[in-house]
Amino acid sequence: MAHVQVYEPFRRGLPKVLPYFAQVWRRRSFVAEYSRSYLRAQDFGSLFGQLWLILNPLLLAFVYFLLIIVIGGDADGKRFAHLTSGLFLFYLVTNAVTIGAKSITSGGKLILNSAFPRFVLPLSATVISFFRFIPTLVVLAVITAFLASPWSVNLLFLPIILFLVLLLALALALLFATLNVYFRDTKNFLPYVTRAWLYLSPVLYESSALSPALAPLKFINPLASFIDAWSGIIVNGIAPSATTWLLMIGWSLGLLFISLYLFLSREREFALRI
Amino acid sequence: MNLLSVSDDHNAGGRAVTIKNLDLTYITTVEKKPTFRQALTRTGRKTREVRALEGVNLEIPYGSVLGVIGSNGAGKSSLMRVISGIIPPTSGRVEIAGKVSTLLALGVGFNPRLTGRENVILGGLAAGLNRAEIEQQFEEITAFAEIGDAIDSPMKTYSSGMYSRLAFAVSVVVEPDILIIDEALSTGDAKFKKKCLERIKSLRSHNRAIIIVSHALATINDICNDVLWLNQGKIMMRGEPGAVIAAYKESLHVAASPSADEDV
Repeated sequence: MAHVQVYEPFRRGLPKVLPYFAQVWRRRSFVAEYSRSYLRAQDFGSLFGQLWLILNPLLLAFVYFLLIIVIGGDADGKRFAHLTSGLFLFYLVTNAVTIGAKSITSGGKLILNSAFPRFVLPLSATVISFFRFIPTLVVLAVITAFLASPWSVNLLFLPIILFLVLLLALALALLFATLNVYFRDTKNFLPYVTRAWLYLSPVLYESSALSPALAPLKFINPLASFIDAWSGIIVNGIAPSATTWLLMIGWSLGLLFISLYLFLSREREFALRI
Repeated sequence: MNLLSVSDDHNAGGRAVTIKNLDLTYITTVEKKPTFRQALTRTGRKTREVRALEGVNLEIPYGSVLGVIGSNGAGKSSLMRVISGIIPPTSGRVEIAGKVSTLLALGVGFNPRLTGRENVILGGLAAGLNRAEIEQQFEEITAFAEIGDAIDSPMKTYSSGMYSRLAFAVSVVVEPDILIIDEALSTGDAKFKKKCLERIKSLRSHNRAIIIVSHALATINDICNDVLWLNQGKIMMRGEPGAVIAAYKESLHVAASPSADEDV
């Protein structure tokens, strides 16, 4: 005889966390399949689709490089390496946010007709963004081979930073997915928010170039420390400082806990709101 | 007609669904679409409380086909969603002994850009099946749905008939212990409808529990052995199909007419 499933009202905000994530784990192949089919539906399965995945961020990097030269007067290869490495990392996060924001509202039919942990949808958004990020690593490797300092042992820190960035991306995807359920125009504001965020992040400039009045941005902007660390290692071969590590860990884990709480305590209401 | 084999593993009369004192209240905002703009411009919080279900007590044994009838807004679909675990009850308790399959539950067609095959796989994975289980049953599903090569075309190219045939095939082929069919039988043609009804009867004779929500009273009368009449979130009557349907029709003040019996 099959086991008995009991549905009761929510007493406290959160579902039981362990069984919840056991359910998420059971759906790991859903996450993989959903991400793959999402990319396939956008023609990323074809050769030109994949080429576009590389071309698009590269062209963007060239456009911004042009901007730096026009406004800043001059720029060198290292500057370009800093720009591309920072820009690619920035898009890893904002793509996850943009796809994640729509993940619940566009999953309407699935959500209305099926009982599963909704967490897998923003998680898939993060995975999709990561899939799109992978080809840019190749571009980055080529660019830095020519333009940046020789590769150092500090490169071994990159996977750790990448992991923390993915946690931050997931946290923001969860946050905006929830917001978009309650405020449907969140996704309309997103392009402006991400554009402003880009200018507040040390992508087009370096953190050290900020005027003292703007220096606190390094602490306030969740992404700033990540881009500093990421580009510092890739371009100059310098390991992140202890403060930068603390900032990265604090922002990613802190935001993840807050967003997880928000998302998990609200998710059973989603079916009523869509 | 080739009906798929169904294994017996339930005792007739064993409880499939037990619902105790179920209340479901939605709090909806009056706005059509919640947006920041409206959040800023509205004065005060205008919310409306909708009591979708009130004090529902229900036991559904294995081996029964329960028809759920009632006018629009009676709470039929809400009840189905609570039983499927999609919406949590506001108060009360729901116990489900077995695997539930809601029609369309497998998320069929949730992304029209993807093919039928991809949608079926994704829906199955979301419902917690594993890949092997889904692939094992794939041929049965396409054969039952009679959609042939179209399974590999994007679902946006499907007709509504193909769409519902595929959805129905998915929900019955996965051999649910408890099958919930919400208003979905009306789109198929007569031949497919007949096949569905035979499949439902076969599941019933193998002691599965089936819940059918429909306005097609003749169909309900034909295949159900138990009928529940909901009105404004409350159970009005439950029992023999003939008696309940008659009482329901009485309340609607509609004399027996073909349009009352069947969705057209």
